Amino acid sequence: MIIQTLTTDYAGKRGPLFWLALKTSVLTVLTLGFYRFWMKTRLRRFYWSSIRPGGIPLEYTGTAVEKLMGFLIAVVFLAFYIGVFNLILVFLSFSLLNGSLAAYILSFVGLIPIYFYAQYRARRYVLARTRWRGLRFGIDPAAWGYAGRALLHWGLTILTLGVLLPRQVFKLEKFRIDRTWFGRERFTQQGRWTMLLPAATHYFIGLGLTILAGLLGAIDPAGFGLLPLGLPWLLVGWLHFRIRSFHIMAAHKRLGENIGFTANPRTWRVIQIYLAGGLLIWVSLFAIIMAAVFAIMILFATIDIANLDLQALGQAFSAGGQLLVLFVAGFAYFGFFILGGVLRQIFLTQPMMHHYAETLIVGNSHHLNGIAQRPRDEFAESEGFAEALDIGAAI
Amino acid sequence: MTGSDTPTDGVDPDAPIFADFMDGETAQVHRVAVHAADSAETGQVRIVLPDVDTPIIWQVRDMRRVPDQADRASIVLGLDGPFPARLRITDTALARELAAICPALKRPNSIENPARRLAILAAAAIASVAVIVFVLVPVMADQLARVLPTRGEQALGDSTYEQIRRALGSENQAKLWECDAPDGRAALETMLARLNRGTNFPYDIRLHVLDHDMINAFALPGGHIVLFRGLLADAKSAEEVAAVLGHEMGHVQNRDPTRLTLRSAGSIGVLGLLLGDFAGGAAILFLTERLVQAKYSRKAESTSDIFAHDLLAKAALPTRPMADFFDRLHQQYGTETGLMSHLASHPDLPDRARAALAADTVGDSFVPVLTAGAWRSLRHICDSGDRDRNAQ
Repeated sequence: MIIQTLTTDYAGKRGPLFWLALKTSVLTVLTLGFYRFWMKTRLRRFYWSSIRPGGIPLEYTGTAVEKLMGFLIAVVFLAFYIGVFNLILVFLSFSLLNGSLAAYILSFVGLIPIYFYAQYRARRYVLARTRWRGLRFGIDPAAWGYAGRALLHWGLTILTLGVLLPRQVFKLEKFRIDRTWFGRERFTQQGRWTMLLPAATHYFIGLGLTILAGLLGAIDPAGFGLLPLGLPWLLVGWLHFRIRSFHIMAAHKRLGENIGFTANPRTWRVIQIYLAGGLLIWVSLFAIIMAAVFAIMILFATIDIANLDLQALGQAFSAGGQLLVLFVAGFAYFGFFILGGVLRQIFLTQPMMHHYAETLIVGNSHHLNGIAQRPRDEFAESEGFAEALDIGAAI
Repeated sequence: MTGSDTPTDGVDPDAPIFADFMDGETAQVHRVAVHAADSAETGQVRIVLPDVDTPIIWQVRDMRRVPDQADRASIVLGLDGPFPARLRITDTALARELAAICPALKRPNSIENPARRLAILAAAAIASVAVIVFVLVPVMADQLARVLPTRGEQALGDSTYEQIRRALGSENQAKLWECDAPDGRAALETMLARLNRGTNFPYDIRLHVLDHDMINAFALPGGHIVLFRGLLADAKSAEEVAAVLGHEMGHVQNRDPTRLTLRSAGSIGVLGLLLGDFAGGAAILFLTERLVQAKYSRKAESTSDIFAHDLLAKAALPTRPMADFFDRLHQQYGTETGLMSHLASHPDLPDRARAALAADTVGDSFVPVLTAGAWRSLRHICDSGDRDRNAQ
C-alpha cells in the first residue's frame, strides 16, 4: 500500500539555460575545446538542479578538472591499445591472410567491448557524482562484466534480426539497476523480460514489414515498395517501445523493500518534442542567417558604388582585407555550430528532461528517511573513456 | 549560545528563518531555523535542528554557494571542502543577507582545483603518448617486420601501393596513372636486368612509373619500387635513373619500407584518436605522406647508397651520375620544406654526392645502360599506353 508519494517538478527555464549554454560554448571554441569539460559540468549542474523530486533538487557534484584528468588517462590507455593493437592486427592480418580487410574489421570490432566498458564507467561516474537529499548515488564497479553481457545480448539481437531486442533491453537494464544504489539502499529491477513484449507490438510490425520488403525486394525490386511503410513504422515503433518499456520497467523498480516508482513519458509528446525542437532549431538558424545576410546587404547599399575607387579597394583587400574575410568566415562558421548546439539544449534537451522529470513519481517515500550515506566513489579516470571515444556527447 | 545584545531596528535579531537542511549522512530533509542576524559580528551562522539542543555552526568564511543552479528563487549552500551537507534557502531576504556577509560565497570549492596534480598528470600523459608513438610502436614494428612472411609483405606492399595511387589521384585521375607504354616498359626491364645481375632478393622487384610531376622515387614493402614521371623528366641520363633505382633496391634489400609501413599502421590509430578522426581521411593522408616522403634514418640511406654503389660497380656502370643527380636535387629542393620527395628529404645530399663520387670504379668509358632510343622511350613512357584501364 502506498502511504506517501513524491511528485517531481522541473525548475529549469529557457533564458538562464540559453545564456549558460551560449557562454560555455563560446569559451569552448575559444579554448580549442578544452573548456568542454567545464561546459559539460556546468550544464549538468543546471539540469540536475532542475529536477526536483519532492521539491528537493538533485545536485551534480562532478568537477571539470576530474573530467579533464580522466580524459588524459583514457587517452594514454587508448593510445597504447590502439597503437599496439592496430600494429599487431595489421601484422597478423598480412602474415596470415595476406590482406588488410581482416585488420580493419578486427580493429573496429576490438573497440566495441571498450565502447560498452566506457558506457558503464561513464554511468558509474555520473551516478557517483549525483546527490539527492544529501545522499550519493552509486553503482558497483562491473564495467567488464557489463561489456561482456552487452556483447552477448546485442549479438543475440542482431542474430535474430532484432526480434530479441526486448530481452536485451530488459537484461541490460536489470544488470545495471541491480547494482545501483541510493546511499546504502540498493535498487532492484523486478519483473521479466516478457512483460515488455506488449510494448513492442508496433516495433515488431515495423520490423516484420521491413524484413518482408527486403525478402520480396530480393525476388522482385517492386517488393522494396513496402519500405516507405515499413521503415517509418519501425522507427516510431522502436521509439514507442523504448518509451513504454521505460514506463514498465520503472514500475517494476524498487529502492530497498518498499520504495517504488512511476514514470509516465508519452510517445506522442516525445515525438512532438523531437519534431517541434528540430523545426525550431532550423527556423532559428535560418532566421539568424537571413538577418546576417540582410545586415551585409544594408552595409553594401550604404556604399556609394558610383564613386568607388576600385583600385584602392583592391589594395585594401589584398592587405588586411583577406585576414578580415578569413576572420569573418571563421566567426560565421563557428557561430553557426555554437548556435546550433545552444538551440539544441533549449529546444530539445531541456523539453525532454522536463517531460521525463515531471512524469516521475516516487512511491512510499517516507521510507527514504531511514537511508544512510554511502562513501565517496573515488576514481581518477571519471568518464574519460567515454569522452575520448565520443560516446554520449550530449551532456 | 552567545546571541547578539544589540537589537537592530525593531527586528528581533534571533527571529528564525526556516530552510531545508540536508545533513549529508541520511536522506532526511530537516526543516531548520537559520540564525544569521549576528553573523556579521560573530562570523558564524547557527543552524538549529528541530528537537536538537546544540545548533550546527557554519563559519561564514567557509560557506560556498553551489553554482549553476536552475532555480533562481532559492540558493543552495555548502562548506568548502569535501562536505556533503547542504542548506537550501528559499527566503530571499536571508539569501541576500548571507550574500552580504559571506566573503567567499562565489569562490569555487577548493577541492575542485588541484592545479598541481593536473599539471603533473598532463605532462605524464603527453610523455606517455610520445613514448608509445615514438618508441614502443617503432620498436615493435621493427621486430614484427623481421618475422613478417614474404607473401604477407607482398600483400602489404600491394595494398599500400594502391592506397598511394588513390590518395595522390586528382579529379581527372581517380587513381594516379600507371604509365605503361610498351617500349618504355621494355627499357625499364632492360635497366632492371642489368642491375639485378647476381643479387638475390626475397621477392621479385616490381617496377612502376606513376604519372606525377614530383622528382621522386620510393620503395614499398614486398619489392615494389615506384618512379615518378618527374624523376624521368629531370634525369640527364639513363645512368642517373639506374643509380636511383639501385638506391631504392637497397631499401628493398634492407626491408626499410616494411618497417616504415608497420610503424605507420600503429601510429595512425593514435593519430586518429587524438584528432577525433578515427580511420578517417586525415589518417590516410598521413600514411601517404609518410610513405612518399619515406624519411629513413641517415644510416638506412647511406646503407642503401652503398648498396647502390656496389650494384652499379657489378653492372659496370659509373656512380658519377648518382653524384650529379644528388647535387642537382640539392640545388632544386635544398631550401624547400613541406611535402618533399623521399630523395630530397635528407639534408646531407652534398655528403652523399661526395660519397658516390668517391665510390666510382668505372669512370667515363662504359656500355650505356640503355640505348639512346630506349632512353627516349623510357622518358615518354607516360605519353601513351592503355590509360583507360588505368583510370578505373
